[in-house]
Amino acid sequence: MGAISSTSGVIHPKPRRWNYRNYETVAAYGFILPAILGVLIFVIGPILIAIFLVFMKYDILTPPEFVGFENIKAIFTDPRLKNSYLVTLRFVVTASILNNVIGFLLAVGVNRAMPGVLRYVLRTALFFPVLTTSASLAVVWTYLMAADRGVLNYLLGVIGLEAVPWLSNSAFAINSVVIYDVWRACGYMMVLYLAGLQAIPKDYIEAAMIDGANRLQIMRFITLPLLSPTAFFAVVTSIIGASQVFDNSWVLTRGGPNDATRLIALYIYEKGFKAFEMGYASTISITLLIILLGVTLFQFWFSKNWVHYE
Amino acid sequence: MATTPNLNKLTLQDNIKPEEPFKKRTPLSYLGDAITWFLVIVMALIEFMPISWLFANSLRDPKTAYNLPPSFWPTDFQFQNYLTVINSPQIDFLLFFWNSIKITGLVTLGTLVTCSMAAFAFSRLKFPGSNALFFMFLATMMVPGTVTLIPTFIIISRVGLLDSHWALILPSLTSAFGIFLLRQQFKGLPEALMDAAKIDGAGFFRIFFTIMLPLIGPGLSALGIFTFLGSWNNFLGPLLYLRSWDNFTFPLAIVTLQGYMGTGNRAVVLAGIMISVAPVLLFFLLAQRFIIQGITLTGLKG
Repeated sequence: MGAISSTSGVIHPKPRRWNYRNYETVAAYGFILPAILGVLIFVIGPILIAIFLVFMKYDILTPPEFVGFENIKAIFTDPRLKNSYLVTLRFVVTASILNNVIGFLLAVGVNRAMPGVLRYVLRTALFFPVLTTSASLAVVWTYLMAADRGVLNYLLGVIGLEAVPWLSNSAFAINSVVIYDVWRACGYMMVLYLAGLQAIPKDYIEAAMIDGANRLQIMRFITLPLLSPTAFFAVVTSIIGASQVFDNSWVLTRGGPNDATRLIALYIYEKGFKAFEMGYASTISITLLIILLGVTLFQFWFSKNWVHYE
Repeated sequence: MATTPNLNKLTLQDNIKPEEPFKKRTPLSYLGDAITWFLVIVMALIEFMPISWLFANSLRDPKTAYNLPPSFWPTDFQFQNYLTVINSPQIDFLLFFWNSIKITGLVTLGTLVTCSMAAFAFSRLKFPGSNALFFMFLATMMVPGTVTLIPTFIIISRVGLLDSHWALILPSLTSAFGIFLLRQQFKGLPEALMDAAKIDGAGFFRIFFTIMLPLIGPGLSALGIFTFLGSWNNFLGPLLYLRSWDNFTFPLAIVTLQGYMGTGNRAVVLAGIMISVAPVLLFFLLAQRFIIQGITLTGLKG
């Protein structure tokens, strides 16, 4: 930036430069104005409204009514909210771990020399689910996972296993939601990890080979540390993403049976738009914001222990 | 990262040179290879089978749609399901398609315009408050969409946009993530470019539009693809805002159709899903490189 002022200083006399600066400021604000309006109206405004609603009872038809700390008290005594957070925690932990581990393994598996056709086929097969509409493909999976005449149960029967109550059993349903999520998202993680793997300079690996390191040692002492920034990004985004999943369990189970798959987004939706308890629903969404911020900050703090930047 | 300039070229396809063969190949390393291949191929089958099942069954006679064993490869070619979907008097699939295209197109275009403009200002212009404003944008990136769901709904309903496509378009016209991504791209361009244009007397808008913008193609296409997919696949937004059939988007229509058709006519529902998946599949087959490059770009820069 210093270069700009010096060049314009050389060409124009001083007073002109001051005008130019003004002009630059006006232009800059012109450039960012649309984005600022968007963010003010649809992110910052809504957050302020959400905080305001924490202290209100509001059903959208009648004016908001001040209720003090009622909503905040309610979140500590609501058994369904507690259940919903536990379900969400279970979903987030299992889905994030599986997506990252499977994505990483696939990336390692695919990151090798192979015929072009095979690469094309693998890439299409492994990555395509990422691009499909989550809600529509969940409809397909409700057919696959049907208890009666479902495809998965048929295949289990062929290899001599018992049928699984994929979506109808309250103890198992959340696993099915995780399975669907991993089916849809692990290809995305694969591409992320693959990009990370390919960005690792070949020299390091060659140097290690010359020093006589075997594959496992290279993986442990070179690949994994150099991949850690990618892994960090992947883990942080998959946790934030998984905490907000709505489509999956809405289409597969509608949150049932017995709230067994009522992820927090579904609970907020139900409270806000079915029960019209917008004040309470906003309070829940603020708790989600605080939790996610806390988790993400913790991850950044903890990352010092395992993420290595070159 | 030190390797940043090369990222644009990274894809699954490029940069994979045959691995330097290890000096000593033990039986164990062959076994490892075999296991890896086995896992990759099994996963590829698992990932692909639901989609091939969807395709095969959308072509089945509705009467045999529930027959087992399931087919994963089209055995029957009954295009009647597709015709039923397209010609159905109650459900106008072409209209849903058009609705989805309209919303997605405007959202993608709007996002590219607002984000590239803001990113240009943040990376190339000096103005008071730029750091504070950029920090504000970064902070909003941390806000999950679930948190703004209810207040946004209230705003939209207050201004009378319920059951209108604007309810889906307006809130999505900009993205802090997009600004961040494109800002990195602009920063990668040489400083001298801007100075030269200034000396030649180009105004800021001209510098932005005719000089800088064409040079950040990879960033724009990445952001465009992601915005497109996000908007095309959006389900919760339409579920909240759209009420009348005529306004439905494709995903909302399909999920509603599933309930509407009940369990009776699965093949027709599958044909509908296939119609919604097909454009994305075609797009992917044509633009595979760019999509994967886009993920690479966004992933490593994030």
